[in-house]
Amino acid sequence: MKNVVWILLAASFTIAACNHDDKVSLINDQAALPATFKFDTLGLKVMASFANKKYGTMSVLYANGEGISNAIKGDKKHSAGEVRALVTWGQQDDPSWFGARIPGSLKSVELVKISTNTTGLITAYAKYSGKNLLAAPDTLGQEARIKYILDQQPSIMP
Amino acid sequence: MRRKIAFVAALMLIAFTGLQFIRPKIKNPPVTADIQAPSNVEAILRRACYDCHSNETNLRWYDKIQPVYWQVAAHVNEGREGLNFSDWKNMAPAEQKAKLWESINQVIAGAMPVQNYVMVHPSAKLSKDDLVILKAYVSGMTPVNKPGDTAKINAQMQQLEQWQNAKFTIGKLPIALNGISYMPDYKNWQAISTTNRFDNGTLRVIFGNNIAVNAMKANNIHPWPNGTIFAKVAWDQVEDNEGNIKTGAFKQIEYMIKDDQKYASTMGWGFARFKTTKLIPYGKTALFATECVNCHRPQKDEDFVFTQPIKN
Repeated sequence: MKNVVWILLAASFTIAACNHDDKVSLINDQAALPATFKFDTLGLKVMASFANKKYGTMSVLYANGEGISNAIKGDKKHSAGEVRALVTWGQQDDPSWFGARIPGSLKSVELVKISTNTTGLITAYAKYSGKNLLAAPDTLGQEARIKYILDQQPSIMP
Repeated sequence: MRRKIAFVAALMLIAFTGLQFIRPKIKNPPVTADIQAPSNVEAILRRACYDCHSNETNLRWYDKIQPVYWQVAAHVNEGREGLNFSDWKNMAPAEQKAKLWESINQVIAGAMPVQNYVMVHPSAKLSKDDLVILKAYVSGMTPVNKPGDTAKINAQMQQLEQWQNAKFTIGKLPIALNGISYMPDYKNWQAISTTNRFDNGTLRVIFGNNIAVNAMKANNIHPWPNGTIFAKVAWDQVEDNEGNIKTGAFKQIEYMIKDDQKYASTMGWGFARFKTTKLIPYGKTALFATECVNCHRPQKDEDFVFTQPIKN
């Protein structure tokens, strides 16, 4: 019994010690994409970055090589094989810099893929929501989202 | 034996007295361009900052005794070099604001006022209430985006057109004064975070090279391994009526290269900044990196890196 008390006491001290540590975490865990989603295997590059004050969100728009060169051309034309992915987070205050906000909890990843069939170009849209990026079956407003994602201008990168 | 002790004590007294005559100079040049701030802010600055960050250094008698005086003089001279409120109006308004945001962040991080200075000068200690006043003062300088700002949009469109016409093609890569070259390949690296810097009206994306990304995956970022490179790109913020804040004109790109041997004198990191789409290297002399070091120093427990990277 005495041993148990000692162990509990020691454990509570350890926990208390951890709680006192208000140091900034090295990694932004809450913004992380789940490893199972394998986002990095899509082979996409950064196309643009933006925030929304009204919704308190931050986003990075990615595209594959084709998507980026189409975006730079700026003629609103798209081609089969083009892929864009929009990653959106809630914002949080930057714990390391008073005067900045950084991505907070992960909200969604939206994928737009353009392919071709006998009638011409077709666009596929998929949305994955929440921390675990679960497939969102809701199709409401898809067209608007596709347009929003395809209409984005590229961030200028010399 | 007793005579020996007396002899040594006498020698030490002579040495101590002698030391008092070897004095570095702390000049107090006339104050011609002092900061103008609300009285409650000015009172805090005068109490906690002015001894080292103005031409109105007020030395106490105990500051003037050698060998302490050496350290005090070094503090004052270094302090004034980094920030001098007596020269305030000689800085451009944008530079003044950036300095204030940087300073408040140094205070929040506990890097300022310098700890051993506060130990001897307890009045310099900043209380929570002081910090509230300073934060409110600095927050009052947050730039406000004008929705649909045509000047900003025009600047962006001009750059976009240059980009479309392949006018960004760079022949010889620009090189900073410390030898670090602009690296166009950053565009193929992964984004490891993004920041909305409302303090200076920019949006930023931070890219990491393969070594950085692999280090993140392996949880091996404390310290970051040699060969790690970060690129941070900053754009103007362009806001519309819907509250969308998008990237406008490209402002600059900054790099941090980890090499604990090569860059030992700058905390193990090589720093460089290239401004505008012309990618003009920042800095007048190779010592420009001191500025980078001073700002990054409070992050020493995070290997001098501000960004908390995001895994994907």
